[in-house]
Amino acid sequence: MKSYIKAAAAAATLTALGLAVSGCSTGGGSAAEEGPLTVWIMGDSGANFEELVAPWVEESGTEVEVVAVPWDGIDERLTTAVASGSGPDLLQVGLSKLRTFADAGALMPLDDQLGDHPGLAAENFPDGIAGEASAVNGETVSIPWVSDTRVLFTRTDILAENGIDAPPATWDELRADAKTLAGRGEGQYGYYIPQWDSPLPVFMTWSNGGDIIDADGNVDFDTPEFDAAVDTYTGLYADGSVPTNSDFDQTQGFISGVAPMLISGPYLAKSIADSAPELEGSWTVSPVPAGSGSATSVFAGSNLAVWHNTDQVDQSLELLEYLSEPETQLEWFEINGELPTNVDALADETLLSDPLVQVYAEQLADARILPLVPNWDGGVGADLLTALNSIALNGEDRETAIETLITKSDGVSVN
Amino acid sequence: MSIAKAATKATPYVFVGPAMLLLIAFGVLPLLVALVVSFTDMDISGLANWSNIGFAGTANYERLFADPDFGQAFGNTVFFALIGVPSVVIVSLAVALLLARSNSRFFRALRAFYFIPAITGIVAIALVWGYLYNTQFGLFNWLLSLVGLPPVQWLSDPLLAKFSVAFVAIWRGTGLNIIIFLAALQGVPKEYREAAALDGAGSWRTTWSVVIPLLRFAILFVTVTTVIAWLQFFDEPFVLTDGGPLGATTSMSIFLYKEGFRLNQFGYASAGSVVLFIVIALVTALQLRSRRADVEY
Repeated sequence: MKSYIKAAAAAATLTALGLAVSGCSTGGGSAAEEGPLTVWIMGDSGANFEELVAPWVEESGTEVEVVAVPWDGIDERLTTAVASGSGPDLLQVGLSKLRTFADAGALMPLDDQLGDHPGLAAENFPDGIAGEASAVNGETVSIPWVSDTRVLFTRTDILAENGIDAPPATWDELRADAKTLAGRGEGQYGYYIPQWDSPLPVFMTWSNGGDIIDADGNVDFDTPEFDAAVDTYTGLYADGSVPTNSDFDQTQGFISGVAPMLISGPYLAKSIADSAPELEGSWTVSPVPAGSGSATSVFAGSNLAVWHNTDQVDQSLELLEYLSEPETQLEWFEINGELPTNVDALADETLLSDPLVQVYAEQLADARILPLVPNWDGGVGADLLTALNSIALNGEDRETAIETLITKSDGVSVN
Repeated sequence: MSIAKAATKATPYVFVGPAMLLLIAFGVLPLLVALVVSFTDMDISGLANWSNIGFAGTANYERLFADPDFGQAFGNTVFFALIGVPSVVIVSLAVALLLARSNSRFFRALRAFYFIPAITGIVAIALVWGYLYNTQFGLFNWLLSLVGLPPVQWLSDPLLAKFSVAFVAIWRGTGLNIIIFLAALQGVPKEYREAAALDGAGSWRTTWSVVIPLLRFAILFVTVTTVIAWLQFFDEPFVLTDGGPLGATTSMSIFLYKEGFRLNQFGYASAGSVVLFIVIALVTALQLRSRRADVEY
């Protein structure tokens, strides 16, 4: 009996020790009081960002510590930061993640501060993303930073060889052209649909004059406009115009001419120019095709936000204001190739002298952000892709797949 | 009680202590936390502020069993385990038996060769296999094209992708188990083989009736660990297909990862992990119970 008691005591001691050990890590706190400003920048542009803020650092005397967070790792990074309570001071948030971050309470509402910082006011930015447009639950939690949209890339040389004079301007034209181009032979396609591209079916719906959000703010896939988008999406596959393998490399496909038309962002222009300079002049960009309505594309930029419990609110906002200035944003385009959000910067003559940028700017004027539903990427966006791809790739019954999508997204709303 | 006596009595605890501490801190405690969390509606806002967490009762479990995606992930995991476990056990046993036939320099080199997949980083493996499987530029499709066959969608066809992913995992999983079998083979006494040879048993007969029965414990060990590994199958589909195409290679672990870390539904994911834990515990207990006494001669 005695040994049992001892064993129990020993076990209890060990458990207590275990608790103590595992408890050590939950302390943590917010950013240091007068330390450098920590800024999270997405992707691998950290070094460029340091260069960009160097003049500000000199002027204000506040050090800036830039942390480059890979796009893939942002969810884990957010979870850790929220759980430990210690995040950055300023951070870049992709628009598709904005709602998730705001819902987590990670972003500081900025409405009260905007009065003191006229540079951050909504009128400095395009309507589609400014103020209300990217506010979550009526609170401004972020300031537009870089613009990104999707445009149509076409290999004009290949199109011309096949008797197509100009890039298609409507989805119907695109479908017909893609079929012609796919007829070039075995292993040749007309168009490429990235199987992970959830905005595509959404802006197809927009281009038909519809929306995937109804008047009450609920996700709604039960509309004729979305139905027409499904026709286009699955039709391209049914025509055999689109590669069905998920590991298709879009840059290689475009350069080799296997897929001479595709919709992508400005970054593709850069990789084509870098890896195939000899193609100069034989490809072009144009606005995305129109459906039965407008040629609307998706606005897929990033915003900057202040972490909810930062101790350095003033410095963060000052840096934010500096980053919102047209000169800063134009320099960022110089250094990093990302388009500005400031309206004056977007209207800059030097910027617009680049024919590619002209197309981007034209497209940005007709671009909308994805609905700010909770977790677009993992939730509605993923379900949407599953539904469409199961029809296009697996031959699933269309009605059943769309029915499942509607059931799954039932009750999801932007409110 | 004298001090010396007390010290003697404390000795075992001191030895067991560090391991126990680690096990409790990183094994038992997280499990208990997951169990508690699985009865709540915890999401990322709950993580930020604990007052946002509400008690959810068994709602997570009810939702889990009604979720077709979880059903698919469960089915995939069973499928993977049914293919993977026998393949890994049989292939590693066969290779180990062959490798044990000689101790020449060539065979020793081969042993190292077979172990390489087990010690190569999964990301490097995924990169290489991703290129081998690639539909456009992959080696496999190039070989097929040499004999005039059309390209195969190794990782894009829902059924084929399951086999492609499982194959990489089998290839990667055999290395360690071959070493375990080789070690166990060292423990088979020479006398038994000699006795069998004197009785006129051939090589096949000796292997089948003497060596393999003596390896029973090693086989059980390898089977148990392999079953657990395949029920927790994660690395290969995560890096090769990310659970796609259309969820065809989403194992239970990938499902949990996505629910937990991409959708931030910690309560729901915890419920799933508790279910996975129970499944693994049951299967393992069943295997251990079915173990018969070691063969003794």
